[in-house]
Amino acid sequence: MAAATSSPRTEQLSRLQRWGKTVRIIFESRVATVGLMMVLFWFLLGFISLVWTPYRPNFSDFEQNLRPNSTNWLGTDHLGRDILSRLMAGTQVILLKTRLPGDFPILGGKAIPGGVALWGVFGSLTLGSVLGLNAGYRSGWWDQIIMQLLDALIAFPQIVLYLVVIAALGQGDLVVILAITVTGAPGVARLVRSLTLDIKTRDYIRAAETRGESVWFIMFREILPNIRGPLLVDSMLRVGYAIFAIGTLGFLGIGLPPPDPDWGNMVNDARRNIFFNQWAVIPPSLAIATLVIGLNLFADGLREEINRYQK
Amino acid sequence: MKKLPVTPKEMEAIHPYIPEAFSKLEQGKISRREFLRLATLLGMHAGLATVIAACSSGGSNSSNNGNTVSNDNTSGQTTETTAPTTTSRIKRGGTWTCSMQLQLLDHPARLSWVEGANIVRQVCEYLTETGSDNITRPLLLDRWAASDDLLTWDLFLKRGIKFNNGDEFQADDVLFTFGEWLNEDIGSSMLGLLSYLDGTQSVEKIDDYQVRLHLNSPQVAVPENLFHYPAVILHRNFEGDIVRQPVGTGPFLLQEYAEAERAVFVRREDYWQNGEDGSPLPYLNQLIFVSTDKDAGVAALQSGQVDSLYDPRPGDWQALKDNPNLAVRSVGTAQSLILRMRVDLEPWNDNRVRTALKMCQDRARILQLAYFGEGDLSIDAHVAPIQPEYAEKPIPPYNPDGARALLEEYAAEKGISLPLRVTLATKNDQNEPEIAQTLKQLAEPAGFDITLDITEPNGYWARWTEVDLGITSWTHRPVAVMLLPLAYTREAIGNWNETRWVDDEFEAKLRQAQGTLDIEARRAIMSDIEDIMQERGPIGNSFWKSVWNITHRRFQNVQAHPTAYYLMADVWEDA
Amino acid sequence: MARFLVRSVISTIVTMLLVSIALFGLIEVGSGDITVKILGIESTAEQRASYRAQLGLDQSAALRYIGWLVGNDWLVRGRVGHKLVTVKNPQTGEDQWWADVDGQLTRWRMRSGELYALLRQENGSSVEVLANDGWQLDPETGTEFFWGVNDNNSAVKWVRGAGERVWVRTSAGFRQQGDGPQQYIPLRKGILRGDPGLALQTGRPVAVTLIPRIRNTAVLAGVAFIVVMPLALVLGILAGVNEGKPLDRVISVGGLAATATPEFVTGIFLILVLGIWLKEIWPGSPFKAVALFTSPDAIFRDPTLLLLPVLTLTAVELGYVARMTRASMVEVMDSAYIRTAIIKGMPYRRVVLRHAIRNALMAPITIIMLHVNWLVGGVVVVEVIFGYPGLGKYIYDSAIFGDFNAIEAAAMVTVFIAVVTRLIGDLAYTLLNPRLRYT
Repeated sequence: MAAATSSPRTEQLSRLQRWGKTVRIIFESRVATVGLMMVLFWFLLGFISLVWTPYRPNFSDFEQNLRPNSTNWLGTDHLGRDILSRLMAGTQVILLKTRLPGDFPILGGKAIPGGVALWGVFGSLTLGSVLGLNAGYRSGWWDQIIMQLLDALIAFPQIVLYLVVIAALGQGDLVVILAITVTGAPGVARLVRSLTLDIKTRDYIRAAETRGESVWFIMFREILPNIRGPLLVDSMLRVGYAIFAIGTLGFLGIGLPPPDPDWGNMVNDARRNIFFNQWAVIPPSLAIATLVIGLNLFADGLREEINRYQK
Repeated sequence: MKKLPVTPKEMEAIHPYIPEAFSKLEQGKISRREFLRLATLLGMHAGLATVIAACSSGGSNSSNNGNTVSNDNTSGQTTETTAPTTTSRIKRGGTWTCSMQLQLLDHPARLSWVEGANIVRQVCEYLTETGSDNITRPLLLDRWAASDDLLTWDLFLKRGIKFNNGDEFQADDVLFTFGEWLNEDIGSSMLGLLSYLDGTQSVEKIDDYQVRLHLNSPQVAVPENLFHYPAVILHRNFEGDIVRQPVGTGPFLLQEYAEAERAVFVRREDYWQNGEDGSPLPYLNQLIFVSTDKDAGVAALQSGQVDSLYDPRPGDWQALKDNPNLAVRSVGTAQSLILRMRVDLEPWNDNRVRTALKMCQDRARILQLAYFGEGDLSIDAHVAPIQPEYAEKPIPPYNPDGARALLEEYAAEKGISLPLRVTLATKNDQNEPEIAQTLKQLAEPAGFDITLDITEPNGYWARWTEVDLGITSWTHRPVAVMLLPLAYTREAIGNWNETRWVDDEFEAKLRQAQGTLDIEARRAIMSDIEDIMQERGPIGNSFWKSVWNITHRRFQNVQAHPTAYYLMADVWEDA
Repeated sequence: MARFLVRSVISTIVTMLLVSIALFGLIEVGSGDITVKILGIESTAEQRASYRAQLGLDQSAALRYIGWLVGNDWLVRGRVGHKLVTVKNPQTGEDQWWADVDGQLTRWRMRSGELYALLRQENGSSVEVLANDGWQLDPETGTEFFWGVNDNNSAVKWVRGAGERVWVRTSAGFRQQGDGPQQYIPLRKGILRGDPGLALQTGRPVAVTLIPRIRNTAVLAGVAFIVVMPLALVLGILAGVNEGKPLDRVISVGGLAATATPEFVTGIFLILVLGIWLKEIWPGSPFKAVALFTSPDAIFRDPTLLLLPVLTLTAVELGYVARMTRASMVEVMDSAYIRTAIIKGMPYRRVVLRHAIRNALMAPITIIMLHVNWLVGGVVVVEVIFGYPGLGKYIYDSAIFGDFNAIEAAAMVTVFIAVVTRLIGDLAYTLLNPRLRYT
């Protein structure tokens, strides 16, 4: 009941303070700082690409398969498109925008903010949290059934599940989001469940129960906010996995549809020409690797700091 | 003029049309290749026809066909030679390995893919053979003879050819095989091709070495049809599965066949054809086909794990062309990627819009970006320069301003504003996405705003006849009059007429062309047909693809075939 | 312990069942018209519909699932009225379905409106006899019908005087035939009885291709496992013991970089550098760019084919397992009893070797078992890059074609591997850790 009695002003302050604390935690860890910088670098590049790229990313304005030179800093691809521009624009589908299919209600054919990797992880967070909270808090049959379902999902090797989903539903941004959601949810749910099992024995949960709060209120207003730290760290890692998965699907030729550049597709296109142009493979590969490493470092650093902080 | 080895009278004895064709060759109205094709088709020995053609004073030797492209590589290797090999140089033995996808194989008459035919043709043979020069010659036949009205064809068999089970090749085997083709239960694509035969009663055995065909309508292309890829001659006791019962007259014996894995052949000791050294062919001891995808195949060829790659894509060609160990042979085809517009739908029902989009093709640039310049530029008609009846036309230039003017006129009339938004659908298995992306960019200044809708091949094939605007791949046909009725006539609507385009004048001309044997007269008609298609037709066509045979330099006597056939009997390895 | 074991096994079986339903349902919901892919784009709607019926796709999903899982011969038996059995075709070695009519194996065929029975002889051939006395009267419609087994391994229903015009697929060609049945139920034994059905792409049984593919993948993954695990554990332990020191930093950063580089990038660069460039300067190099199988047992004849695929898998997996081991080692080294041991004056080397490692390996071992799952995923990409004919490439090819029989069978194999290794992991953990109570 503390929150209800305190004035809005103090609550705001405390939220600000909490934000400040979080930021301090990040910058206290060198590892987390480096990771965050790497991630922010790609976000920044992606935002810039929304308004400006050196050349038009989808247009063959140059000769094919040029090596890096003063005009095209990273060279050109097999269609004579500027690789730097494509690399920048490639951030968009992963991090910044999701293209909806033409027959989607209302927004058909348009793009919505938030990249495929982010929406996918958001999806698995949502689904995983609902399942994990229910399993952990309600226990009993709920727990049994949910865990059995999750076991079934976990049993699929991820790539196999992706292949099956795409074989069944076809290519598209939404399909990839769905695949990431489904493959990610079991992991999130297991984490949420174990954290919930720990937290539900705490006094403030007992208090809420005695107050007669509904189960959903307890799960989402009392438990969820208190486990967001580890959950945040986990989702950082998951965004990394998702980017990796999108790249792999692009490489297998069944990822995000053209014409917008996507790093995995860029690697796949470039590898066909690798025997006479090795340069085109390197930038998108490095992009995937650095973004994933950045997310990993950020998550690692954050986790270490949180652990230290809690001790 | 040199003295001819045969008199016109003797020519006429072979077929009445030959002297006329010869005089056309003399006047330069047809090329030597066309004369050779016609004369051999009508029953003249290829050797004799070649001699006659060589004696003629006229006739351009136009051959964009079967050229051996030599590699101009940096390491200064000797370039590929086309000079005939001398007997002393030929070596025997060795293994040739090839990367090619292998699917299910059972009855050769049912073959529907060239890869399978490339397997079968090592074991079984055809009555005739069309070489890389597009000339058909007898193979298991000694010769053929056609009646003046082209309704009776006599097939004379070579004597003394043995199947690999020891039986002699005779008319019974030919009769049996014709029976398989004409049997509805087998489901052979030969059945449609041989529609001029009324079942097996049209195939008459004269004696053990002569078979007579009674046609119900005149047909000039009988020998060419006998080299249609499912048309291998089977043993008279064949039971329906070539993998279990690999009996044939061919140069190799099938040792192993596993679909999607590999096929292994070994040399046959008693093959009927002799090599240049006087002993029986083939020169090679073993052939291995390994089923891999093309990307793996390219790497394997680069590293020397395989010696050839079946039907390389343009990207593969570019990756491999400078490899000093590989010989690249290219040959032009009538295969193309057609930009087709539905004339029953807005805005493509207006010829100005169609013409505007056609004007947006910078053909050389599209050919360069999509096919690395490996092909022949085309006009906007579905007739290829390598087809005999093609009439030469200038290649239309890239004209965005002209296109813009047409579009503005159209837009003003319709009361809409430019850019005109259209969706271009295609698939991603050949280089269609490259064409689509290049066209999108080329058409922008003209006022088109093209959205690309690119799917995997099955996604496009499920709707190829339905999309408004698309790029469809069309395969090679030896003559244009075979293709045009399939796609641009009233009868083809609901079938392969993907554009719904119907034009009475066009159809009348096409029918006229189909009934014209004289190649020069047919070309004159075709010239009008091409003009009609360019002026108001439903397609844009930037280029005709080339195909390549890429094989390790060690192997000699390799030929590039327009339909990617592997003819391995006289290939040898210079180890 | 016994109770725990039983529970785990039951849970595993339930998991497999759930997965199979999910898999079946997913493909059911999503897959487009497979007949377009099989028959080609020229096929007409009529041909496709006819072929769908022959594939049994007009039956309800539940019936097809049951047929897929446990077979449908026992369901159809009542209609045909005879026991249905399979016999090996002497030519192809593939199973053929026959009805056992009082000891005589029989199939039926309708030609020109007449019903014929095909009686199987000892040598595998069959004798055809007229069998018009088999017709049964349908009291409602007054028509005569017959349920029998046709020569395409389906139970079919013919109606006298009402031969359907059907389109029959003959591997490549497609022909129209009169006298066709009104209803088809393709007979199958079901995956539990070892029959995953026919691959739609090749028309041959899935099992025939799948088994050598599984063997090839087992060899690849097995070799990779043997190479990766000891190396990763040693590196992880070294890093963990030296936490924060330069050696740890090198191993950690290197591991992270290796893990974060997608395996397809590693793979193609290995092909380029070791498979092609090295070959040019050193023609005798043992590295093969592509895993080319020129014979069925090529990997045993020429194990160098495995070099690059294993190297690629190693590059990807090594970092991951090493990082896990390091984390576990750091935790153990930090724990009270190790610190006590060191303070007590026990030699550092002995503490590490005898106490820390044993405890630190507990976590990685279970993670490694879980990691088999990851390995399967990695194998898919590696097999596609190197053209290695294994399970992963099989799944990929089938998924691209939409060959649902093949996908279902192959995916179930991977799920089975994953579930069983996890079961083993659980058991190993309980055995290694006596403090764990069996609940």
